[in-house]
Amino acid sequence: MNSSYLPKSLCLLLTAMIFFSCQDEMTTTYTYRTMVPVYLEMSDVRARVISTEPAKPLDNPGKIYIYEDYLFINEPTKGIHILDNTNPSSPKNLSFIPIAGNVDLAVNGNILYADNYVDLLAFDLSNINDIKLVKRVEDVFMHMYRHETGEIITFQDTVISTENPTWQVESGWLMDASISYSSNYSAAAQSYGTGGSMARFTLSNGHLYAVDENTLRVFNVEEASDPNFVKPIDLGWGIETIFPFEDKLFIGSNVGMHIYDASTPNSPTRMAVYEHVQACDPVVVNSEYAFVTLRNGTSCWNSVNELQVVDIKDPYNPSLKKAYSMLNPHGLGLAGDFLFIAEGVHGLKSFDASDVMAIDQNQLEFLTNLKSVDLIPGPKSLIVIGPDGVCQFDYSKPSQLKKLSCIQVSNPVNVY
Amino acid sequence: MKDLRIYFIFCLFLISLKGLAQEKKYFGQTEIGMSVGRSEELWDGNREKRRDFTLQSFHGAKISKSHVVGFSVGFDRYDHLSIIPFAFGYRGFLGDEGKSRLFGGLDLGIGSTILEKKTRDEWSKSWYQGGLLFSPSIGVSFPSRKGSSALSLSVAYKRQELSFFQGTLDRSGSQAPASKKLPPGFSSLSETESLYQRMVFCIGLIY
Repeated sequence: MNSSYLPKSLCLLLTAMIFFSCQDEMTTTYTYRTMVPVYLEMSDVRARVISTEPAKPLDNPGKIYIYEDYLFINEPTKGIHILDNTNPSSPKNLSFIPIAGNVDLAVNGNILYADNYVDLLAFDLSNINDIKLVKRVEDVFMHMYRHETGEIITFQDTVISTENPTWQVESGWLMDASISYSSNYSAAAQSYGTGGSMARFTLSNGHLYAVDENTLRVFNVEEASDPNFVKPIDLGWGIETIFPFEDKLFIGSNVGMHIYDASTPNSPTRMAVYEHVQACDPVVVNSEYAFVTLRNGTSCWNSVNELQVVDIKDPYNPSLKKAYSMLNPHGLGLAGDFLFIAEGVHGLKSFDASDVMAIDQNQLEFLTNLKSVDLIPGPKSLIVIGPDGVCQFDYSKPSQLKKLSCIQVSNPVNVY
Repeated sequence: MKDLRIYFIFCLFLISLKGLAQEKKYFGQTEIGMSVGRSEELWDGNREKRRDFTLQSFHGAKISKSHVVGFSVGFDRYDHLSIIPFAFGYRGFLGDEGKSRLFGGLDLGIGSTILEKKTRDEWSKSWYQGGLLFSPSIGVSFPSRKGSSALSLSVAYKRQELSFFQGTLDRSGSQAPASKKLPPGFSSLSETESLYQRMVFCIGLIY
């Protein structure tokens, strides 16, 4: 090779380059998560046969319900996983019931109630290996109806990339990922545990109560296999959780806690609204006090992170007894005198709450490595939901939790 | 991954330097200069003139009388950004040794954004990611009287890619399905891909 060949060609190359303009270029691609509306005909949804499928790996767990020796774990909008929890140290994944649009469940006797978009379904659990649909109550969760044609609107989580900085989609909506996401999807996904403090279906006095963002719906389930819709009760805005105690319903909302008298189960009446600053707030209750956690989160912008103890001896006149500052409390659970609080990314705390005026002085344990969003003190174990999946702890000694097992999930809860 | 590549290249460079220096086949060139170009199109459709500092140090081995292969490392400014370029390079000379010679060069490598800070707060995260570097050059070298070193004047075209990422963290606490486009934990992410194209004028020393 001629030794001058390379330098010469380089000169040529550079000359060619000069003809390229020496200008900087910048392109920005915006990628964001948003909700895309999906329209469904309920007649199509109802035509699908729902039958139990073989066990599936847990993905994105939602509500958890304890039924006898079983755990029912909802996968939001997909269905319900059934696990055999006879031995909490090694739960076994048994089967999966595919229920489109499902976010809630509750069990009454041997009947499982689950929502299927706008309908309420009742399944017979008497043979766990052969779960049968026994009743469908149509058109009860009406807030999903778009119009009277029987078409419903749901939202599907989607990731969109665009070079348009205004993130404007074709339909002309200015989409903001956080607003659309939190308002449409995480309202369902955030309610982590039924039986836990973040439940939205609850059973009391032969009635099933279901809360959505602004309505309490009452079903008569005295005949368990034949649920009947009684009526809707308007609650106001931002309803998040429901907790029954004795013949009262404690309903947590963004702005406070509603207390309803359910002694006439068909027609609960409002006793009081305990209002506080806007925050996300699960509730647990014993006969004298309600324990409310307030935290700052996505849909509840506020800098308050605390545990409030509310005196409810006079349910018509609830009053704040004491507030304790917390780090970022999510769900909470009460087992006798012992109070467990999921502190989000900060861990899990346990307290002896027998003296409500000195809860902070009676902290038993603070497990900082146990990130958690909700918990359920069950008959066999304390179930903790967090980024590690669904974990169970022996809490026979509340001051010393002992880990029994963790069910791995592929899309665990994120906590911040 | 990017860091690994940089370490690998740097190690290669150190090894080659040691071996070559002993055999007196070592070739070094350090250049300082200015890169000239125009900005991306601004909101009003105009482009600003850009002039930035550049420094490059090339170390290589003579594989024949006129050809050198080696490795370069440097420091480039692009507007407000500082880039450390690492590249494999070639230099070829025309003309007799001991006289003024015409030379051409080609550098191919990556620009590292290691000097740029990553920011993260409660709500968001932003960071830079380096990209490909491509730079052909031509120049003239003027030997010193002793002949052991030379002064060089060169002009080069430099093309540097890099990306800036700015993400909003997903704080809803809900578990969003995984996506290839959006890393876990983010509710949105914008990627600004920048392409810097500059003419580079340098003065340097060959030793």
